[in-house]
Amino acid sequence: MGEPVRRVEDRRLLTGNGRYLDDLGADAVEVAVLRSPHAHAKILDIDVTGALEVEGLLAIYTYDDLTGPLADPLPLLIPHPALTHGRTQYPLARDEVNYVGEAVAFVVAENRYLAEDAAERIVVSYEVLPPVVGITAARAAEQLVHPDVPGNVAAHLVQEVGDAAAAIAAAPHRLELDLTVERSASTPLEGRGVLARWDADAQRLRIWTSTQTSTGVRAAVAVKLGLDLGSVEVITPDVGGGFGVKIVHPWPEEVLVPMAARALGRPVKWTEDRREHFISSAHERGQQQHVEVGFDDDGRLLGLSVRFWHDHGAYIPYGLIVPIITSTQLLGPYKPGAYRVEFESLYTNTVIVTPYRGAGRPQGVYAMERTMDAIAGYLGLDRAEVRERNFIQPEEMPYDHGLIFQDGRPLVYDSGDFPASLAKLKKLVGWDDWPAYQAAARAEGRRVGIGLACYVEGTGVGPYEGGHVQVETTGKVKVATGLTSQGQGHQTAFAQIVADELGVPMSDIEVVTGDTRRFPYAVGTFASRAAVMSGSAIALAARAARAKILKVAADALEAEPGDLEIVEGRVRVKGSPGAEISLGTVAVLSNPLRYAFDEASKAATQFVVGHPDQPPVGEDDEPGIEGRDYYSPVGSTFANGMHAVIVETDPDTAEIKILRYCVVHDCGTLINPMIVEGQVHGGVAQGVGGALYERMAYDESGQLQNASFMDFLMPYVSEVPASIEIDHLETPSPLNPLGIKGAGEAGVIPSAAVFAAAISDAEGFAITSMPISPSELFELRAAHAVPGQQEGDRS
Amino acid sequence: MKVAGEAVLHAPVERVWTALRDPAVLVATIPGCERLVTTGPDSYDMTVTAGVASIKGSYTGTVSLAELPEPNTFLMKASGAGGPGTVSADVTVTLVEEGDATRLRYDADAVVGGVIGGVGQRMLAGVAKKLAGEFFAAVDEVLTGARSMAPAPIGEAGTAGMPTVYRDAGPGRLAARTGEPVSFILGAVFGAATALAGVLVGVRVARGGRRLDDA
Repeated sequence: MGEPVRRVEDRRLLTGNGRYLDDLGADAVEVAVLRSPHAHAKILDIDVTGALEVEGLLAIYTYDDLTGPLADPLPLLIPHPALTHGRTQYPLARDEVNYVGEAVAFVVAENRYLAEDAAERIVVSYEVLPPVVGITAARAAEQLVHPDVPGNVAAHLVQEVGDAAAAIAAAPHRLELDLTVERSASTPLEGRGVLARWDADAQRLRIWTSTQTSTGVRAAVAVKLGLDLGSVEVITPDVGGGFGVKIVHPWPEEVLVPMAARALGRPVKWTEDRREHFISSAHERGQQQHVEVGFDDDGRLLGLSVRFWHDHGAYIPYGLIVPIITSTQLLGPYKPGAYRVEFESLYTNTVIVTPYRGAGRPQGVYAMERTMDAIAGYLGLDRAEVRERNFIQPEEMPYDHGLIFQDGRPLVYDSGDFPASLAKLKKLVGWDDWPAYQAAARAEGRRVGIGLACYVEGTGVGPYEGGHVQVETTGKVKVATGLTSQGQGHQTAFAQIVADELGVPMSDIEVVTGDTRRFPYAVGTFASRAAVMSGSAIALAARAARAKILKVAADALEAEPGDLEIVEGRVRVKGSPGAEISLGTVAVLSNPLRYAFDEASKAATQFVVGHPDQPPVGEDDEPGIEGRDYYSPVGSTFANGMHAVIVETDPDTAEIKILRYCVVHDCGTLINPMIVEGQVHGGVAQGVGGALYERMAYDESGQLQNASFMDFLMPYVSEVPASIEIDHLETPSPLNPLGIKGAGEAGVIPSAAVFAAAISDAEGFAITSMPISPSELFELRAAHAVPGQQEGDRS
Repeated sequence: MKVAGEAVLHAPVERVWTALRDPAVLVATIPGCERLVTTGPDSYDMTVTAGVASIKGSYTGTVSLAELPEPNTFLMKASGAGGPGTVSADVTVTLVEEGDATRLRYDADAVVGGVIGGVGQRMLAGVAKKLAGEFFAAVDEVLTGARSMAPAPIGEAGTAGMPTVYRDAGPGRLAARTGEPVSFILGAVFGAATALAGVLVGVRVARGGRRLDDA
């Protein structure tokens, strides 16, 4: 723990030996999905005649082929009392399509090429309906996405602490802000994919899927296909990125591929292509926000009222998680005074919106931090100082905001030292030297700006995760946890935890994740929860295994367990050189044998070990050295961080260049600083994309015009800051045995806010719509270049 | 699964009815029919070999025809079984005079089991209808003289007390011209039977890209 150990999985992954979904199932037949070309249409007819001539065609499924639970809409995964008009899609469209990309027909053929050939010969007759595209259209509700959902509103939720309207009205100063954030998406390099094998003899289904929750997929598929849970196994192979999109389940393909495998008696595989990922997986981020704030002469918040409109796309399978997170995590490290937040979650005829790394926090932080900057600008105060005056203080922890968080539990911060974090960041970026630097740059005709943004991130949400640790007779340690890995370095981080707890070398530890055969109880990998949840569970399981090791070893060494230590895989009596026993031998002795199978195992046979007057396995004991335990916290643990960026904008082209990017990060105890920094780097890179490049360019008819990597601008290494300067603050969480807080999403959360702040500072006018491109900045300059425009408004 | 369709045959109702009851015509025109054995008046055993990618096997089935009370309406019952699954179908066929020609309507209600049942309803129905069209076109060619009928029966024909066996006669015949064994029952009688055979035939048609362009 705490060491920057190199990731044990990297050699395999970097040398091309990873096994991703499409690397599996060489003998499988393959699928192409025919998808809707219209954003909103009735299906009048599906004619497959033309497809029948394609050689190698095996099956074509449409809605009419779905029976039993498969014919029902896919699950609404997270119900909420405010979600009064929840709608989810059918695995295959029934009589209506509601976004470009909605699955209409599912074609199985000997290979993908033939399946595509057949799919393109299917003729679907549509009656095209007017689509609802964008939040403005959804709010206007002149057209409805679902005829039985008035106003396109799926949910309307209000939370209020105190009387915000009265507090704002009574405040010495008031401001209002209107802000927008556009859509982006997780965009993992590996899209989704599913492989299924039906064993007709055993009547069992085995599924491999590129998911963030193998146990979730397992439960959903069992229900949808009418199978016992015990007859379904789900294995998550190497996953080439998730970033949230793969927590949604079951995707249509996750139930249809197993259905086809069972119906056809052949292994069936579907691998998503890039266009499919853009138009039929999930997006995030799109919101309109209206902020009203009242504050005193020092910039202290007295009342804050936020209304926002959240675009969740055509269906809402993941419930209200994203807008709830926006509405609660918006508060960041601050005390808002009286607080009221109200949102509407709106249907549009576009791809669904589900959590993407950050999951609603980037939007919330954007609203709050733009507000902080506006207050500072209004009062002519230092932006850092205004923030500091509103901080929750360390001695106020645990701090209860009086709101309900995304896990249905009170929003209570468990730890953090925000003044200390800000002090670190100011030092790291040279905040106090900034005015001089900027003045000097301006004197040279350069436009430079600095931005600052703070966030608090609820991580490690429940309900639970579990861990299993087993010591084999070779002395090797096998570790399993149910949640999945998408590149986070779990094999390394979890092995570090076990190595510390058991005193064994990392090289003797193998970690398996996301395989329901190895660990059937789990929730999934999201909300920066793997290290917190499974890390804690594995630590507890390792401690149970350690207790058993010491008990067996104490018996063998005729010592007290308390006098023993485990070093490098050997149990020894402290201070007695030579009195020691290997973990492998302990494992042998822990399992009383009748039959020896090798030299070592003779030591555990019945004429060698045991007391004649005692049962070989005690009443409360079990054979073997195993520990299994679960970690289930009362509430989330709250990580936090602060970012600063310095940008330079080109006076002519409005190109935005990053000069420096600084991060102060507090995720409690660090298991592996190298992995945490890698997570921060990745998050910052994704944040740069979200702030400066990425958007989902829907036209007015609901066609996504940039559904490829040629047109969707993902940042390359050339756009990511060459150096991301990071400092850590460790305020351990009191909620878990290791004191850790999540780190997976942190890097991306404040990006829109911090870039908007820096560009505003450079340009002298407020940026209120993100992301921002050079062209847009150029247009904004023109719009602001009117008589009377003053420089120096940094808000 | 229900499949319905119609076809126009260029002969009076009576000739159509006669042709459809003639095993020699049937064995020549039913796609995939290798062997047709009369087992009684208007009832037959059939053998079909399907050479389908994932659905290979030999299929046997029975077909019977019965007139219904309504004029020019009859019921075809067909069932078949093979490695990949089972098919059974009730097909109601109605013949309506249309000048010198006959309009034939069929309504099939088929039950498909086993792996065949898993290929998707629209695909089954699509294959059935397509093959029904091909079957009727072939029958129409016989009726209009565009296709000459080889003498039949062959084999055990005429032996007292033995059923009459009809075999697809090879080159010059519809099924054989495709150069491959063809699938099943479909044809069992009318294109209507297609509903059922459609399944098996369909899969192989899909696989082979076979077209009976001249049919």
